[in-house]
Amino acid sequence: MFKILAACGAGVNSSHQIKDALETEMKNRGYDVQCDAVMVKDITEDMIGNYDLFTPISKTDLGFNISIPEVDAGPILYRMPAMAKPVYDQVEEAIKNS
Amino acid sequence: MTVETTDKLFYSEEVFISNANSQVEVFEEIYKKLYKEDLVTKEFLANLEEREKNYPTGIDMSVVSTQIPNIAIPHTESEFVKTTMVVPVKLKNEITFNNMIDPSKNFKVKFLFMILNDNPEGQSNILARIMDFMSRTSENELITFFKLEDTESIYKFLTRKFAQYAQD
Repeated sequence: MFKILAACGAGVNSSHQIKDALETEMKNRGYDVQCDAVMVKDITEDMIGNYDLFTPISKTDLGFNISIPEVDAGPILYRMPAMAKPVYDQVEEAIKNS
Repeated sequence: MTVETTDKLFYSEEVFISNANSQVEVFEEIYKKLYKEDLVTKEFLANLEEREKNYPTGIDMSVVSTQIPNIAIPHTESEFVKTTMVVPVKLKNEITFNNMIDPSKNFKVKFLFMILNDNPEGQSNILARIMDFMSRTSENELITFFKLEDTESIYKFLTRKFAQYAQD
């Protein structure tokens, strides 16, 4: 099980859309992933250590070094295949490299 | 106000055409009405402003079409809202927002879809539905939509399109 942490400001809309999109697409590509959606301000160094990949909307300063691979997932939010594909490809790459 | 079905996102009485000239002005205008109707808490305004500053919500539509205006989707945490709906706000004057997926950049925005979501674990996928509307509605229809000058027409168009895409 590959674990992904999605995050956005309010933890309400964007991160949940990214969670749904990544879980669906990675399942279609044959990978077993689980994604959690949280508020950026709730992320701690300990928490992020429990995940294999961090997928914020945009480059995010958490105030500490992020110890896991990171893919900026914002373009997924457009719901347009051409914009989402590069993000999915990077996530798939991260899974293969794990 | 009760939400009759999870699919209903728009309410004809919660559609705005604003003359505001800044984020602060438009947020305050919308907040005053929503608070009066008990749809948001007293802390909503301060939290909405702070969140927009730290995690902006402007969406650059020029990557889709240069004919379609940019939008923003202001929202804040569930604890400050008491319902689930989308509040459309046509801006008579363009207002600057920063880019959600690249906060160092900003651009002018002509329309807001303010999201109230008191149930983030629900199945509403509100943002996805807004973006489906923006990406699946034809350019000509969107151009016409963004020129509408009365709230009832805006409400009807959005309700019809969202219902149509929800069935696909």
